Amino acid sequence: MTMAAAELLKELSKDDRLSRIAVSDTGFIFDPQTGQSFTLNKTGLVTLSHLKKGSSIDETADQLARQYGVTEEVALNSVEAFLLQLGRYL
Amino acid sequence: MDSSVDITDIGTWEPPFIQPHKMGALNKFGQRTLRDNICREVFGVPVNDLVRRYGSPVFVVGEKHLRQNIRRIKSAFEQRYNLAVHGWSYKTNYISAICRILHQEGSLAEVVSKFEYEKARFLGVPGEQIIFNGPNKPKDILRRAIEDGALIQADHMEELKMLEAVADELGRIVKIGIRINFDTGFTEPWSRFGFNLESGQVNEAINFISRSDHLRLSSLHSHIGTFVLEPRAYAEQVRIMCELMRKLEGVENVAIDTIDIGGGIPSRNALQTIYLPPEQAVPDINEYADAICEALLAGTRYRKEIGKELPRLIFESGRAVIDDAEVLITSVVGTKRLPDGRRAAILDAGTNLLFTAYWYNHQVKMTRNAAGSEEETVLYGPLCMNIDVVRHSISLPPLAAGDHLVISPVGAYNNTQWLQFIEYRPNVVLAQESGGCSVIRQAEDLGVMMAQDQIPAHLASLDLSGKIRPLSRSGNHPTLNRKLV
Ligand SMILES: Cc1ncc(COP(=O)(O)O)c(C=O)c1O
Repeated sequence: MTMAAAELLKELSKDDRLSRIAVSDTGFIFDPQTGQSFTLNKTGLVTLSHLKKGSSIDETADQLARQYGVTEEVALNSVEAFLLQLGRYL
Repeated sequence: MDSSVDITDIGTWEPPFIQPHKMGALNKFGQRTLRDNICREVFGVPVNDLVRRYGSPVFVVGEKHLRQNIRRIKSAFEQRYNLAVHGWSYKTNYISAICRILHQEGSLAEVVSKFEYEKARFLGVPGEQIIFNGPNKPKDILRRAIEDGALIQADHMEELKMLEAVADELGRIVKIGIRINFDTGFTEPWSRFGFNLESGQVNEAINFISRSDHLRLSSLHSHIGTFVLEPRAYAEQVRIMCELMRKLEGVENVAIDTIDIGGGIPSRNALQTIYLPPEQAVPDINEYADAICEALLAGTRYRKEIGKELPRLIFESGRAVIDDAEVLITSVVGTKRLPDGRRAAILDAGTNLLFTAYWYNHQVKMTRNAAGSEEETVLYGPLCMNIDVVRHSISLPPLAAGDHLVISPVGAYNNTQWLQFIEYRPNVVLAQESGGCSVIRQAEDLGVMMAQDQIPAHLASLDLSGKIRPLSRSGNHPTLNRKLV
């Protein structure tokens, strides 16, 4: 799972793909490449904003753990699962 | 909208989650469009009024809708074959008022057990208007049915022998039918019911009847399956039955005047195994009537040539008549976010009331316009059972406790197969054609539930003095004590 999520992040970061995705502060996101739109929940929005700034999986998990007061393990699992979801849609 | 975001309100923790928007669910401003998915009234009565008056959950039957259904279905057959008669399959929904409505519309009663037979008689249906099918007909009820003049259709050889014995005791000649099964090439043959044609069981039954002193074979019955999506399956069924009828012309004690093709015509419901929506997957009733009556006219043409009357056609459609004439109103009691990110809601009605949720994806409608985008949601019932799922996956806006949902179509098999497990069964209400509503099956309460229990004398009183440790004195709890030392 860790490998797959890391691969996906690498793939999504190519050609600034991730940073070009438009995100509103309500969690509405738009992928200009496919024209598809999505909604993120609040934690999804926070997670994506870390990833868009170029944070690694571990760094993102670390920040989420601190922001929400959950364990590193919970945060890491969630980031990986979230990346797998992103991989399915983006 | 920018490609970087500043987030002031980060919310509380839940697993991060992304949900794709369905085309058309949001307009170009990212707002929800007014959807046709809102259902504020059922059969002309506001949902909120129904819940206020009759509680939640509540089943609601539309009288006008039901009458329109049966009229349309009957006329589809009668227009094409004027000896067509409908038999109301009691097991599909035997709430008394519903049976009465269908009998008023001219349907016979089709019953399959002692209870159903007694119920039809109790409701005032004369014996000659009852078709008695089913594999288990105890002797006492067979005797009554013979005395009443019902059409009994035998399922197996032991039943034929019992019929012969009872007819002998009563000193009567009895006209009966036999249920037969065979392969149409379209549906899985229901070979456990009736006498098999291909293997010669039908011949054995006919031989028995033609040697009988009291039995006369007047009807051939078969039922080829459930939710049969292919009208040609019925054409083949009728062709085979007519061929058998023709072979039996002139056989001792046989004079066929009835071809009974059973039920199985689908309702506009969404089978879980079928991808297309029901509007596309389910052929119109007229296509079935066409296939059936054409095959019947072709298969009985020889009778005109030999100067014999045509047989009457009995069809026993259940679900196609009642399914979409009834809905279930249920309420959300709690919501969750599952660990895999999906939304879930717990409803006050589950598979205890909606047995058909095991094979249909019922339509679920909100009764208010909810803000927020649709997400994949799981709808759970109230039972302490993992399999109590009303919908495994349905796209819905965020639900809140107290929301009402309208589930449809639910008229077929739920009010008969519902199970009494940990919950009371709720009111069933009829939205009357003339306006107004009436309860047609009262909600259960403790009195109903206790009525059948009997307590033997040695259990008559409940004296618990000193025998049960109170839950609240946790200091005495053995495992707790062990942890404390
Ligand atoms: C003998 C017979 N008749 C009629 C029916 C009613 O079937 P449906 O509701 O599918 O029309 C059944 C259902 O199993 C049946 O077994």
